[in-house]
Amino acid sequence: MTTETVKKQRWKLNLRDRFQDLPKPARIAAMVVFVVLLYLLPTKAFYENLGFPIPVGSGYLPFYTTGSDMAGVLFQCGYYILLALGLNVVLGYAGLLDLGFFGFFAVGAYTVALLTSPESKLITEYNWLESPWPWLVTVPIAIALAMLSGVLLGWPTLRLRGDYLAIVTLGFAEIIRIVAKNQDWILNGDRGIPSVGHPPGTWPDGEAIFDLEFTPYYWLVLTVIIAVIFLIRNLANSRVGRAWVAIREDEDAAELMGVPTFKFKLWAFAIGAAIGGLSGSLWAGQANFVNSNTFSLENSILVLAAVLLGGAGSIGGAILGGFIVIYLPEWLRSVGDVFGWPTQVEIAGIHIDVSPTSLRFVIFGALLIVVMIYRPQGLWPNRRRAAELKDRQKEVAPVE
Amino acid sequence: MLLEIDDITLHYGRIQALHGISLHVNEGEIVALIGANGAGKSTIMRAISGLRAVSRGAIRFNGEDISKVRADLRVARGICQAPEGRGVFPGMTVQENLEMGAYIRRDHAAIAQDMERVFGLFPRLLERRKQAGGTLSGGEQQMLAVGRALMARPKLLLLDEPSMGLAPMIIQQIFTIITEINQQGTTVLLVEQNAQQALSRAHRAYVLETGNIVKEGTGADLLHDPAVKAAYLGVA
Repeated sequence: MTTETVKKQRWKLNLRDRFQDLPKPARIAAMVVFVVLLYLLPTKAFYENLGFPIPVGSGYLPFYTTGSDMAGVLFQCGYYILLALGLNVVLGYAGLLDLGFFGFFAVGAYTVALLTSPESKLITEYNWLESPWPWLVTVPIAIALAMLSGVLLGWPTLRLRGDYLAIVTLGFAEIIRIVAKNQDWILNGDRGIPSVGHPPGTWPDGEAIFDLEFTPYYWLVLTVIIAVIFLIRNLANSRVGRAWVAIREDEDAAELMGVPTFKFKLWAFAIGAAIGGLSGSLWAGQANFVNSNTFSLENSILVLAAVLLGGAGSIGGAILGGFIVIYLPEWLRSVGDVFGWPTQVEIAGIHIDVSPTSLRFVIFGALLIVVMIYRPQGLWPNRRRAAELKDRQKEVAPVE
Repeated sequence: MLLEIDDITLHYGRIQALHGISLHVNEGEIVALIGANGAGKSTIMRAISGLRAVSRGAIRFNGEDISKVRADLRVARGICQAPEGRGVFPGMTVQENLEMGAYIRRDHAAIAQDMERVFGLFPRLLERRKQAGGTLSGGEQQMLAVGRALMARPKLLLLDEPSMGLAPMIIQQIFTIITEINQQGTTVLLVEQNAQQALSRAHRAYVLETGNIVKEGTGADLLHDPAVKAAYLGVA
């Protein structure tokens, strides 16, 4: 090991340990300040006071997505972070490659839409419901149904390992999307379900809190994220969490130690699915309109990219990854506007779209390749997973 | 009789790996299974610990047929295996690996005691307590795998090739400790390619060839058996 890498490691250690070494009140105070900052993120004034130089007359603010509504971008980041946290349980903790994670998001979103929309066929055609239910009541139902679909999918497939599981889950998400697209008698096919209910609450002046303005939705999703983080942290440190680590590291050995591997894999699937469903119900509460176009395969891949980019097995990594995959292209778009980057180029009479938003998969592809080469454990890795990765690399190419 | 295997067969897909194996292990014994590569030694181990289902036959542990019992429940009944190729959890520290061994137990005081015992048997593990399992040397990983299996307080300890890939010195050490564990009251069933070591340590042994048991006897008998000598000990 060169002295340089030692120094680097020591520096990294210091950063983490220094925070850990702070007295507990100081740590809590720092966390509170950080969380308050997070709640302030959508406010434009926050960026105006950052003190970064602003190009004159551009209306540009550093870090602010001037090309799109900052609160909207942050809300989207929020539900992707939730998805990444859910997939992190499945992939990061239990080590199960789920390529169709967005399917659970779809289940959550459709459940909310069907139960809260006055134009839902459950009401207009079948009279199953007399009137639309409030959004808040439908969220637990959405979570439960997503969880159930996770169990139903996992029951036959979790006996498979590795590649097989990936293919089956991929199929699952596609089935959900195609059914939603073509099925007419309840999901209303491509026409979708309009007038989906919003979360409850009114300002003192009688205006609804959750309407067209994105900021309250962002605050809501941020609050949910914080709650989910606490839940997942506790799970990861429990017997269940230890069983997941064992399964991920060596499934046979885990079984030989008396871990009921199938049961715990199913739990990971169900909990991940529940978080995915929760994310879907939050999104539906804002979106107003739900149809199958939202649930394309690329979203599943984007969530997967978020988890791997951030660092599988790490909560911080999932958050960072979920944030980056949504925020970065939106931010690039506004940067492009300010500095006059073209959104289209013409080569030999063909117009090629080069806006960051449409190129985001190219950008992520490149970014993922770079990260996976230079930092395969992810940007904010879990210490243990980093050690596992080293172990696996050793197997592939012995260094001794 | 602690373990009795009665005429089991086992298939990998369409390939039959075991052709009606019968063997038994008495309480307090060290029993060795020797044989060449592909003879089915590890397959027998996998059948006993429940990683693979048998196609036919019975596996009786303490008189109860466990051939349909789930692997994790067999651990609870007192069978614990240190898997082939060591199978330590690479990202967990030595201590966490040992704690995983005691996963089925909840008697925390006794677990702490057993951990002391394992550290007593393998002082090297104590030195490396906070180190990740994947960073240990081969011999240390083998010690960890054996120690981890002991943490389940098994009645029957299954060891799959504890000498694989280790230096002769370390092999000697490991086998000394296996004898010691046995003297402390744990029954041991052991699969080995290192027939010399296995036979000299075992009370009884079976010789396995292409899924059939072809010979059985006391360790000393087999050690002096001319056919065994020629095939497994490299002596003409």
